[in-house]
Amino acid sequence: MSLEHATKRDLQMKPYRFADKVFFRVAALAAYSAIIIILLVLIFLLQRAYPAFEQQGILAFATGVGWDSSVEPQIFRIGPQLYGTLLIAALATVIAVPMAISIAYFIVFIAPRFLATSAIILIDFLAAIPSVVIGLWGLIVFGPVAVGWAETLHEAFGWIPIFSHDAGTFANSPFIASLVLGIMIVPIISSVTREIFSQMDQEVIKAAIAMGANRESTLRKVILPTSAGGIVGGILLAFGRAMGETVAIYFVLNLVYDKVNWFEILNPEGGNVASLVLSKFGEASQTEIEALMAAGVVLFVVTLIVNALASFIVNRAQPWRNV
Amino acid sequence: MSTSRVPLAPVERPIDSKPWSKVAPRLRSTVILVSVLPLVASLGIWASSGVDFIVALFAVFLPLQLLGGAIAGFVGYGRRGIADGLLVVVTFFLSAFVLILLLSVVWSVFATGFQALSPHFFFQNNKYVGPTTDLSYGGLGHALVGTILVVFFTTLITVPLGVATAVYITETQGKSRGLIRTMLQAMSGLPSVVAGLFIYSMLIASGVSSYAGYAGSLALVPLMLPTVSRVAEESLRLVPKELRNGALALGAPSWRAFFMVTLPAARSGIVTAILLGIARIIGETAPLLLTIFSNNGTNWNLFSDGMASLPTYLFLNLSFGTDGSIARAWGAAATIMILVAVIFTLARVASAPRKARKAKK
Repeated sequence: MSLEHATKRDLQMKPYRFADKVFFRVAALAAYSAIIIILLVLIFLLQRAYPAFEQQGILAFATGVGWDSSVEPQIFRIGPQLYGTLLIAALATVIAVPMAISIAYFIVFIAPRFLATSAIILIDFLAAIPSVVIGLWGLIVFGPVAVGWAETLHEAFGWIPIFSHDAGTFANSPFIASLVLGIMIVPIISSVTREIFSQMDQEVIKAAIAMGANRESTLRKVILPTSAGGIVGGILLAFGRAMGETVAIYFVLNLVYDKVNWFEILNPEGGNVASLVLSKFGEASQTEIEALMAAGVVLFVVTLIVNALASFIVNRAQPWRNV
Repeated sequence: MSTSRVPLAPVERPIDSKPWSKVAPRLRSTVILVSVLPLVASLGIWASSGVDFIVALFAVFLPLQLLGGAIAGFVGYGRRGIADGLLVVVTFFLSAFVLILLLSVVWSVFATGFQALSPHFFFQNNKYVGPTTDLSYGGLGHALVGTILVVFFTTLITVPLGVATAVYITETQGKSRGLIRTMLQAMSGLPSVVAGLFIYSMLIASGVSSYAGYAGSLALVPLMLPTVSRVAEESLRLVPKELRNGALALGAPSWRAFFMVTLPAARSGIVTAILLGIARIIGETAPLLLTIFSNNGTNWNLFSDGMASLPTYLFLNLSFGTDGSIARAWGAAATIMILVAVIFTLARVASAPRKARKAKK
């Protein structure tokens, strides 16, 4: 048997064994199910929602005001709800972010180990509190307390337009809804942030300290810039959660249909698409259900846009993740 | 440098010495002083002037404590320490503030909810129970059964899908990884109520099925899938490349390298993924309200008739708004939290580092 010299070949990652082919094919099939599910959601919702869009006009439906099935022709517009959804989610995120990052920073960089371990367990547990439990707590326990906070805020800063108040009660305002939501999303943001903090290259931090950096400058110049992309990803994840949240808000927010409450967050006049769907679904007629489907489509499209933005930011901030 | 020369003898440094963790006595006493004084002062002002607690907290305690932190930082580390002191105070304050609120959720659920709990509360169902029936009769047994069935069915569908998706993203060189990732990201933003509307329009409005448990399970799939696959992906990504490449270099086919090296190495992460997925959906209410509605009796069949579940039971009782039904709602909340706690404990045990378990043997 003569020895032939080895022919040069390209190394390639392509699976060549049958079992490997099956393995990779199964994984690919499962992965494509994500695309299929998204497409199914869009197709089925659009199909049901089409009559409502046709009757109301897409732009008027999304930005107009009024929701009345008793007049002829029926008016279904979700402008106040859509704006309210964005406002409340944004406020909740603004409230939650500093607290969440504080907790993560405390756990990873300040707390002694035994305290950190128990705090991690606690935060992960709190992240799993279902939103309906938060809603129950928000309605019965926290609501009355937060009404007091809102009154105080109004008395102290009532001259600032956003804290003005001209309705009877302080309860069920966007302010309280966003507080409840903010508290709900704190564990989500902080567990993501903690994960990122603890996976950071410790050498970089040690190097900074060895160069004479103090706590504050290490955080500002080393830790936050390094982990910014991941943190922003976590924040937007929580923002998406907050926009789609239904039951936690349903009980603590009063919906208005005929005007947009632009900034008076202490007035009990808010809007939320998901709550709208939940509150109208039970007694809805066929056309109204179509309008609710359309509201769902709009909500989904808006969250899609937010998420696209999120992944764009995260990818820009962490280019190495897509390698 | 120093004028007087000290004879330096080489000293063996103890292995466990931590010179950096020693706190100078002056700093320590300052820290104790500035942690106690603002507390005492603001408590005094709150008690004597009768302002709101929240005002005392933000207008008196926080500024005083910030000042104290700055002073302590200055005493310990000079001017550069001021920012450190402020940072520590802000961190502690914000963490404690929100933790107290979150713990108040847990505390009120357990304190109020346990009053409703009793053996029959777990075994009886909601038949013949009205909003005014008192707690000595009826319970959420039917909802417990419903939740377990629905969540189990969802997990059965989602976990293989999610883990396989993570495998596709991390282990293969597939062309559409970016697309899949984007789609998962989009799905993670899918509002739960939209997931409910989707299954409602696909199965129920189109007449394929009436309200049934499996419709609810299907509605929960898109909510659980992104969580499972994202966490699984993160944990697979954390497995060192050397391990995987080592297995491949030893001649293992990819699937064996995955099942025998990568997957065991990422085991705790995968368990966490399943767990977080279950925790994500166990309290989902809106999709279930739209797809399986509810049922006052116990229903063991996922494929016919409405089915109660813990979140919808809680929701409907809270909507009634009578004292008795709100007590039932608290009981349901406590039950959900107990379930979540049990899942967490199980997962902790399952994903405990192997070393620790070997040491116990």
